[in-house]
Amino acid sequence: MKRLLDKIMLLDLFAGLGITFRHLWKRKVTVQYPEERMEPAHRFRGMFRLDEDRCIKCTLCARDCPIDIIYIDWHQEVNPETEKKEKLLDRFDIDIQRCMFCGLCEEACPTTPKSIWLTSKTYELASYERWQNLFVDMEELQDWKIRPKYTDEEIA
Amino acid sequence: MTDEILTGADQYETLFGVEEMELNFGPQHPATHGVLRLKMKIDGERIVDCYPIIGYLHRGTEKLFELHPFFQNVPHTDRMDYVAAATNNLAYVGAVEKLLGLVVPPRARYIRTILSELQRISSHLLWLATHAIDIGAMTPFFYTFRERELVLDLFEEYCGARLTLNCMRPGGQPYDLTVGWAEKSAAFVDSFPAKVDEYEGLLTENRIWKKRTIGIGMLPPEVALEYGVTGPMLRGSGIQWDIRKAMPYEAYDEVEFEVPVFTNCDTYDRYLVRMEEMRQSASIVKQCLDKLPEGPIMAKRPRVLKAPKEGEVYHSVEGPKGEIGFYIVGDGTANPYRCRVRPPSLYNIQVLPEMVRGGLIADLVAVIGTTDIVLGEVDR
Amino acid sequence: MEGIKEVIGPTLFHYALAPALKIAVLLVAVLTLIAYTTFAERKILGFLQVRTGPNRVGPWGVLQPIADVAKLLVKQDIMPTQAVRWAYVLAPCLVVGPALVIFSVIPFGPSAEVTGNMNWFITDVNVGLLFVVAMATIGVYGLILGGWASNNKFSLLGGLRSAAQMISYEVPQGFSLVVPLLMAGTMSLSGIVDAQIEQGRWFVFAFFPFGLLAFFIYFVAGVAESNRNPFDLPEAESELVAGFHTEYSGMRFALFFLGEYANMIVISAVAVTLFLGGWSRPFSSVESLSFLDLGFLPGGMGGLVWFTLKLLVFLFVYIWFRGTFPRYRFDQLMDLGWKWMIPAALIAIAGTGLFKILIR
Repeated sequence: MKRLLDKIMLLDLFAGLGITFRHLWKRKVTVQYPEERMEPAHRFRGMFRLDEDRCIKCTLCARDCPIDIIYIDWHQEVNPETEKKEKLLDRFDIDIQRCMFCGLCEEACPTTPKSIWLTSKTYELASYERWQNLFVDMEELQDWKIRPKYTDEEIA
Repeated sequence: MTDEILTGADQYETLFGVEEMELNFGPQHPATHGVLRLKMKIDGERIVDCYPIIGYLHRGTEKLFELHPFFQNVPHTDRMDYVAAATNNLAYVGAVEKLLGLVVPPRARYIRTILSELQRISSHLLWLATHAIDIGAMTPFFYTFRERELVLDLFEEYCGARLTLNCMRPGGQPYDLTVGWAEKSAAFVDSFPAKVDEYEGLLTENRIWKKRTIGIGMLPPEVALEYGVTGPMLRGSGIQWDIRKAMPYEAYDEVEFEVPVFTNCDTYDRYLVRMEEMRQSASIVKQCLDKLPEGPIMAKRPRVLKAPKEGEVYHSVEGPKGEIGFYIVGDGTANPYRCRVRPPSLYNIQVLPEMVRGGLIADLVAVIGTTDIVLGEVDR
Repeated sequence: MEGIKEVIGPTLFHYALAPALKIAVLLVAVLTLIAYTTFAERKILGFLQVRTGPNRVGPWGVLQPIADVAKLLVKQDIMPTQAVRWAYVLAPCLVVGPALVIFSVIPFGPSAEVTGNMNWFITDVNVGLLFVVAMATIGVYGLILGGWASNNKFSLLGGLRSAAQMISYEVPQGFSLVVPLLMAGTMSLSGIVDAQIEQGRWFVFAFFPFGLLAFFIYFVAGVAESNRNPFDLPEAESELVAGFHTEYSGMRFALFFLGEYANMIVISAVAVTLFLGGWSRPFSSVESLSFLDLGFLPGGMGGLVWFTLKLLVFLFVYIWFRGTFPRYRFDQLMDLGWKWMIPAALIAIAGTGLFKILIR
């Protein structure tokens, strides 16, 4: 009997209408993008940063990359001031076309704190030209004049 | 070529003897959940036969696996079923651990269970969103994505990425839980069943929804077993088979949960199975969070993971779409010799012609939605 | 006004100039209302879906329809080479035209005897109801032609489905329109409104439950007529891309779009007139509430205000339906129309007739 009444009075449809009507008055979840920006979490894997001074040129990051996009060249030289042999970085390029931001290079780096890290919380990587910002070389990785929005944070 | 392959249509007598129309439900279509191509023979609105053509998203993943050592392949597994990346990771690292004989510490096992169940919730929310919008109800899409954002935020806080997680390594976990993560996930799963009630209120009793899904896409259990279908498709046809109960892995034998099984073999039952699974996943996460043991998160393992010579292993887990399996053959070096993936969507999509033959085009869309395929997995 | 009347003569004034002015004002008003209905739909759908709708183009996005119109006007006008040219061009016009024509018989306010100077309608055909049904039926041709002329299998399917749907829902719609006819005793639309005022209650509440049943059937058949969710299979995005208007772009598509919303508004307007008392205020028989007549507005505009308010409620219900329900499959839709609505409409007619006999 109740089922018959339900069927005729279309109660299930009105229940659905009620649910959507209640949502009219709820707070909207839209984030108005350029004005409000959602801040990613601490461990968010964004764009790279390199610190040349901390780097010991072990090339573990290049070896661990699943797609082999890190290119490192170094040579040994005698430093005239300290009279000791040390390694100098010639080239540290990353091919951003293929990078999947997996974080394995960061995990492989043996220094503390890490010399290459991804937690710069930057995900706005678009550029206006096709040839810009596809290969990032050593200077850009450190200075980042092209990326004004980033946090200078070091990972924990 | 396709005339030979399309079976069952040779002696079909159309009413009034008119010709059938061949329709290409192309790779670019809003309803095919990816780049699936369906060659269909239709007679007016009835589908006479249907032939899925796949391969538009093939990326050579299995070949890529052979080129790099074991732990470097984990990001590649994320991208197969990109909606449920954690279960892919879990299947792969489980297989590698079986091959290499690594024992995972209990805390890592619990964390993996939590991540895997959260991923199941997220994948089912996406399934509900797309299924509902294919059938015409637009609003569940937005409501489910609102919840999905919360899950993705949890993942982001744990491992740094929202979709392609890379959150497990052979031997354990790379990171421990951050401060406050356990509280946040507990808050999420506490509020989740009320949200599921909301979606059910909009859809489950709705007469239009019932008319569109009851009796559509019938999959008899014998046919399902013959084709190797797994996951909610199988459980909607009455067969009680869930790898989490049958061959437990990680921490599933230490938590209590039910596996929903419905017997009507139609779309409505598969919908009910998945809704109930979401609730059960929330309860599993709650139990794991309560019982989380302390301890290390990474097993003691050698610096370079070398497979034993002539070792081969097959390990499968219950993903949101079905059984994901990895068959890895090692040859004594650090790279796998062969790594074959058993993707659930590939086997689920084989039954698509069986389910839609004789139905209408509108039903085809509902059936593709209920099959819950992800083309990244089908094509790898 | 009086000067012009003297110059051109009273007949020309009453039969040519005044209606022409009214038509011009009405067209502008209706077209603006259509444009802002599209905006309201996007905004309200957004709110139902816990998101803000468009809000960039003006304060709260209010200038969005203007941006939309501008975009559609400057779009490239593509026509498929194999398309049938005359049908392709004619189809959008056949969808919009009849919908706008129906507005000429709908009363927005009292007639000249009450207000003293002006009729608040363009014309009062004494078979107004029949005229409405006839014009609604012509709209079907536009859809069939549009689907066929595009030379596209998907569009053809969409056009055929849409035509079948519209024709099968014309029948319950027509039947349910007989009920206010019986209750009022006249076919003229302003006569029906006057009858509601005279009888002191709106026809939706008359002869309970048959008035309500007739209203419900009319509204649901109206939703099906204008191809809106839950009956919008012909334009279901997830199945046939866009159905019969897939191949149209630019201004032609804008006309189809306009036609759909015009249909929506017209059906709401007719429902308001026939069942909800048109331009009269609620409780029109209660003297103490006569301030609700808004007599302070010049020239009887109070009627227009009430009419617009009721119309807006209906438009909100249309949008609310779109945001909530899934879509009916095509054969289930036809089932519903032929097997359930026609018997229900016949019951409504029989019940009303019975009531009328008993009451007399």
